[in-house]
Amino acid sequence: MRTLRESAVLREAVSWGVALAWIAGVLFLLMALVGAPFGEALSAFLQNAFGGRRLSYLMATLSRAALIAGMAVSVMLSFRAGLFNIGGEGQLVAGGLVAALAALFLPGPPLFVLGASILAAMVAGAGWALLAGLLQLHLGVPLLVGSLLLNYPIRYIASYLVAHPFRDVQSGMVQSHLVPQATWLPYFPGTRLDIGILFIAAASLFAIIYSHFTLHGYHARMNGLSPAFARTVGLPVGKLTLQTLAMSGAIAGLVGAVAVFGVHHRYIDGMLVQPLYAWTGIIAVLLVGMIPWAVPLSGLFFAAIQTGAAGMERSAGVPKEIALVMQAVIILFVASRVSGALVASSERRAGGGEGA
Amino acid sequence: MRVALCGITVRFGALTAVEDVSLAIEPGEVHAVVGENGAGKTTLMNVLFGLVAPQAGAIRLDGQDRRWTSPQDAIRHGLGMVHQHFMLQESMSVLENIVLCAEPAGRFGLVDFSAARSRLRRIAEQHGISLALDRPVARLSVGERQVVEVLKMLYRQAEVLILDEPTSVLTPQEKDRLFATLRSFRTAGKAIVLITHKLDEVMELADRVSVMRAGRLVWSGRLSQTSKEEIARGIVGGALPPARQRAVRTPGEPVLAVRDLEVAGRSGAVGPLSLRVHAGEIVGIAGVAGNGQGELIQAITGLAPALSGEIALCGRPVTHLDVERRRRLGMSYIPEDRQRMGLALGATVSENANAGRDDRRAFTRGPFLDRAAMARFASGLIERFRIRVGGPSALAATMSGGNKQKLVVGRELARNTPLVIAENPTWGVDIGAIDFIHGELMRMRDEGHAVLLVSTELDEVMALSDRILVMYAGAIAGEVAGTEADRETIGRMMTSRAHQALPEVA
Repeated sequence: MRTLRESAVLREAVSWGVALAWIAGVLFLLMALVGAPFGEALSAFLQNAFGGRRLSYLMATLSRAALIAGMAVSVMLSFRAGLFNIGGEGQLVAGGLVAALAALFLPGPPLFVLGASILAAMVAGAGWALLAGLLQLHLGVPLLVGSLLLNYPIRYIASYLVAHPFRDVQSGMVQSHLVPQATWLPYFPGTRLDIGILFIAAASLFAIIYSHFTLHGYHARMNGLSPAFARTVGLPVGKLTLQTLAMSGAIAGLVGAVAVFGVHHRYIDGMLVQPLYAWTGIIAVLLVGMIPWAVPLSGLFFAAIQTGAAGMERSAGVPKEIALVMQAVIILFVASRVSGALVASSERRAGGGEGA
Repeated sequence: MRVALCGITVRFGALTAVEDVSLAIEPGEVHAVVGENGAGKTTLMNVLFGLVAPQAGAIRLDGQDRRWTSPQDAIRHGLGMVHQHFMLQESMSVLENIVLCAEPAGRFGLVDFSAARSRLRRIAEQHGISLALDRPVARLSVGERQVVEVLKMLYRQAEVLILDEPTSVLTPQEKDRLFATLRSFRTAGKAIVLITHKLDEVMELADRVSVMRAGRLVWSGRLSQTSKEEIARGIVGGALPPARQRAVRTPGEPVLAVRDLEVAGRSGAVGPLSLRVHAGEIVGIAGVAGNGQGELIQAITGLAPALSGEIALCGRPVTHLDVERRRRLGMSYIPEDRQRMGLALGATVSENANAGRDDRRAFTRGPFLDRAAMARFASGLIERFRIRVGGPSALAATMSGGNKQKLVVGRELARNTPLVIAENPTWGVDIGAIDFIHGELMRMRDEGHAVLLVSTELDEVMALSDRILVMYAGAIAGEVAGTEADRETIGRMMTSRAHQALPEVA
């Protein structure tokens, strides 16, 4: 048994080595192609992902990681319950939009406005997710289709609202007015990192506890493993679907609110769509096979790759397109390696299936 | 082709599934491998077929050592296997399924279907098989699907055919047809390995028998050198269970009452059906698979809506209630498909054991799970139902078929509800487990529960039921009292509407 496990570890190490060698090889080739210096690009990559003066780049990475991880956690809750909710983007936009508008128009002390706006954002995200769930339960629109299609109306509703009725005309941009400065999330002392990441950490912690330790999370997972089983043993499948979607949507809405109060301080058209937070979140979840504790780490990985690649472009003169290709190459190899390892380990756990 | 397995040992973690087993498979012979579920029969054959790599031992084909890296390797060397769960693409035609992965390439790399078709015709003719090659597999009966699997092996020129529990899904007539085909293979000099737990089939067909118990080979030799009783003793490792005694009891109040029920079926509506099941009786529904039994059960359990008619459980109308409410009112359900409906294979034994329990407070603390209480409950089931598994935290997928079924049966019966619905409860399960499950169902009856048993195994229905209803073409073709049942009468009802003129079944 012992030698078996050791050889498995060895195999694992070798295949990681192979994956890393491939990444290095392909990146080298790409850089040779555009004539960028390899060493300089590499150090620019690392510097921009994790370094900077007073670690400012690391803070940028973390801020981005928070948003991606938040979306990843939101998606994970749905996926684990077997619900293919790919409407995270719409739920995120609904949250961001409502957060900004609520903060602009709610009267009262700043802390109350902030709290109420975040709550409103979560309700908005949950509502948008529930819409997809109701479409499935009552009209038979598959969740995969319904949730995806619902991304578009909310995106254009948001664009319209900040382009016309609520536009900050003076700024000349398609964006809302700034939310009151007193409601902005403060930075951690001595850094440029807002405390929004704490909200995301709390949401992640909630998701981990929910998934592993609650009755509801247990039921949701049974439904995810086998919907036929869940129906047969009489789990309340319809209710489970709606509640899970509402939770998913509320977390997406929270991410939208964090982006507003922590990063942009207003709703700018496209600010939640263009960086592909929701989609990156989905990939981040698939990468680690929906294991709750690994989801935030996966979000950090994607954020680091993205800020690092952007930095390579800035400091080492690697063209943006090539930086994006490199980013894709890294993700591809790491993803294939990680999911390969996860599949192998789950097969080992299953022990070869029905041994009659 | 001569096949020899020498000193094969397979371990899954701490469990030794097969230990130092050697046996020989000779051409022109039917070699039956018998044993309880979990005895290691399927694992041993999976080794031969390249699905499982053994920790020790060798496979020899005609005296040459072979080592498979995949089943494709084994197929190339003339081995073929029909699994207990068929591996067919439902939406594709019979022909497409058969040539899949062994397509004859014509010019420009296109699949030469006409060549495949004529070759298949020749093979089918040679062995007296008839089957429409262009029908989609989804529209075939289970028996016909099995013929497709057999043809698939022949098409790949298999010399050694391994069949895993091939008759568990067949009607008596279909079984006879399969056995005729297998005899034809034997005459043609092919080697046939039959994994089974039905001794009558062994006595009928086999030339050589190997008996396995707890991963070891306990006996192997020619059928003529042994007897049915001796094989049975070898399988269970001791004396046989005594024949079942039926306590006389008068049925009580009706627990389940179904009136004029109609359900949507795959080929037209099923029904109208009416039936009653009283407290303290087992009502068996016999019939060839696909005659509306599945639809009836789905409507009673609430998994499918009723088109019309009424269902009452314990005197209360439940026609419009969902599955959860019906179960709470007093219904348990042992589904036919344990892989998909009975269990969540990716979850642990403990998680499976606790799903669908009404007394949620017993294993939760507020919104949180009490994992220790869940494990205790699962351990209780494991012990009481003698389930062979690593423990409550083992994955359900690691259990053998019989043990999976025992877990489903245990979970449902432990709920102690007035009504128990059992749908083919011993499908693909070994003698020991069959006896155990039958015993549990009888115990439920004797304790005053109402049991509705649906089974395509006539022997099972006859052994257990107080009353037998026979279903044919979506309707109840007749009713027989359990004591007066004989195979002939029921067999006739299973295939004709002649008995529809009988008075309404109550």
